[in-house]
Amino acid sequence: MSDVLTRDKPTRPIAPANATLQTEFTDVLIAEWTKLRTVRSTVWTLAAVAALMPVLAVFVGLTGSLQPDDTILGGSLTGATVAQMVAAAFGALVMTSEYGSKMIHSTFTAVPRRSNVLAAKALIISGVLFVTAFVFSLIAYGVGRLLLSTADYATGELFPSMVGIALCFSATGVLGLAVGTFLRNSAGAVTAILGVMLLPALFGPLFGDLQRWVNGGTPTAALERLTQTSDATPEVVGSIGAWPSLWIMCAYCLGALFLAAIQLKRRDA
Amino acid sequence: MIEVDELTKRYGTTTAVDNLSFQVKPGRVTGFLGPNGAGKSTTMRVILGLDSPTSGRTMVKGQPYATLRTPLRQVGSLLDAKGMHGGRTAHNHLLWMAQSNGIARKRVDEVLAMVGLTQVASRRAKGFSLGMGQRLGIASALLGDPEVLLLDEPVNGLDTEGIRWVRDLLKRLAAEGRTVLLSSHLMGEMELTADHLVVIGQGRLIADTSMRTFIEQNSQAVTIVRSPDIAGLKAALERVGGRLRPDTSGRWEVSGPDAMEIGEVAAAQGVALHELTPRLSSLEDVYTQMTKTSVEYRGTEHTEGALVSTKKGA
Repeated sequence: MSDVLTRDKPTRPIAPANATLQTEFTDVLIAEWTKLRTVRSTVWTLAAVAALMPVLAVFVGLTGSLQPDDTILGGSLTGATVAQMVAAAFGALVMTSEYGSKMIHSTFTAVPRRSNVLAAKALIISGVLFVTAFVFSLIAYGVGRLLLSTADYATGELFPSMVGIALCFSATGVLGLAVGTFLRNSAGAVTAILGVMLLPALFGPLFGDLQRWVNGGTPTAALERLTQTSDATPEVVGSIGAWPSLWIMCAYCLGALFLAAIQLKRRDA
Repeated sequence: MIEVDELTKRYGTTTAVDNLSFQVKPGRVTGFLGPNGAGKSTTMRVILGLDSPTSGRTMVKGQPYATLRTPLRQVGSLLDAKGMHGGRTAHNHLLWMAQSNGIARKRVDEVLAMVGLTQVASRRAKGFSLGMGQRLGIASALLGDPEVLLLDEPVNGLDTEGIRWVRDLLKRLAAEGRTVLLSSHLMGEMELTADHLVVIGQGRLIADTSMRTFIEQNSQAVTIVRSPDIAGLKAALERVGGRLRPDTSGRWEVSGPDAMEIGEVAAAQGVALHELTPRLSSLEDVYTQMTKTSVEYRGTEHTEGALVSTKKGA
């Protein structure tokens, strides 16, 4: 190290200071993408999202563990709800890992416009999850088609459901990001988000007439409807159709993100 | 230029910074001193826009930090918590920072070489020693070749060579006309590095003055004497209000009368002096004394003694 200490030249010009004013947000996006791909925890969580659906499709296909009224699509995507919860954890981790290490100080000194940081994270999370969910749910479906006979089960409607499923993952990741921003702590955020996703299905009936808005708006309900699994009974997922359910859920997630942005702006880092 | 203008920051009922105003001017290293909990780190966090002030404001280069475009090109900072994810490599940590402010990729390798971390650039930061982490923090502060630098305890954990390197680096950066604000609890280091001092205690300004003035004005005047007839000298000096304390090497520290007075008292008494040396306190002595004072005068607005005399010096 000593040889380098003696030949430092700290004042070389780098680039004109006004070169990037118009691309400010693009720079933040690129930086956030670098952050995401250079830490193991986020990479592995994303890998888990990807792997869960095909792996469970193989399991379901080999054991034929479907209901008679199930579709091949629904059976192949048995792992989707679990993958979705991991997707939520992924979204939360993108924010909470920065708080755990005080990295957030570096982030906000580099980009003082905190809403830009949050927006960049949300865009990257939703983009990455959309692609991952789309590709790997297709793969899972392919596995199901290979292992299950179309004579025994209906295939299920592939498009536009697949797009909806991928969107559902994106929105769930954004919800995770919002919760992570509120709580700033990985364990707390993951627990909270599992609660948000699971509890409405358990306690939905307590809400009476409001049940359809409560249950129908949960990420799990939207996903189960879209995957057309036989588990998606009105008692569990509410009585709203798949697509309205997805839009309600997206609205909830964006609302949560908006509140998180306000909170992020007000709070001391 | 950094300006702190009537800054107050409260956390709940605790006042961390209390109506603090000072300016950090370019072209010199300004030392930021204060005991633990005095509000140094809070002040730095507010300057960097991380915490919002309860009242007052802070400006960097004439505007609030939060409104700076590509701030890393203008302000480099190192906070007490290192602000990096342990699972990310040194290179990748600097890379995302560079990207976020549109700084050329090759600058990452440049600053890594500058701080001597080229060899470990692809290692995860959590495996770094305290000193290596500190170097990486300094690298990220230098990344944007900024005109203003805020460094909280930058030499913490560095070895002697590293400390000297940081000292030379900061002095050179200041000589180039940059603004450097440096906090450190290592008084000896501060005395060697800083030209100017901002001293705070309990969130308030105690002194804003040059290093030399600070030490001169706050030194306890002490004179070292040695004499074959210390008993006679002691009695004579105590009559004129002097206090004598033996030091560790058989000499005596006289406070009260200055060297001239002591010499005259000795001559009048016919006592021989083998040594008569006026001694200026080190920054550490002054600081320790001052910190005590600031604790003693807790909560009072107008105080006497050291506090007032430094304000005159400001």
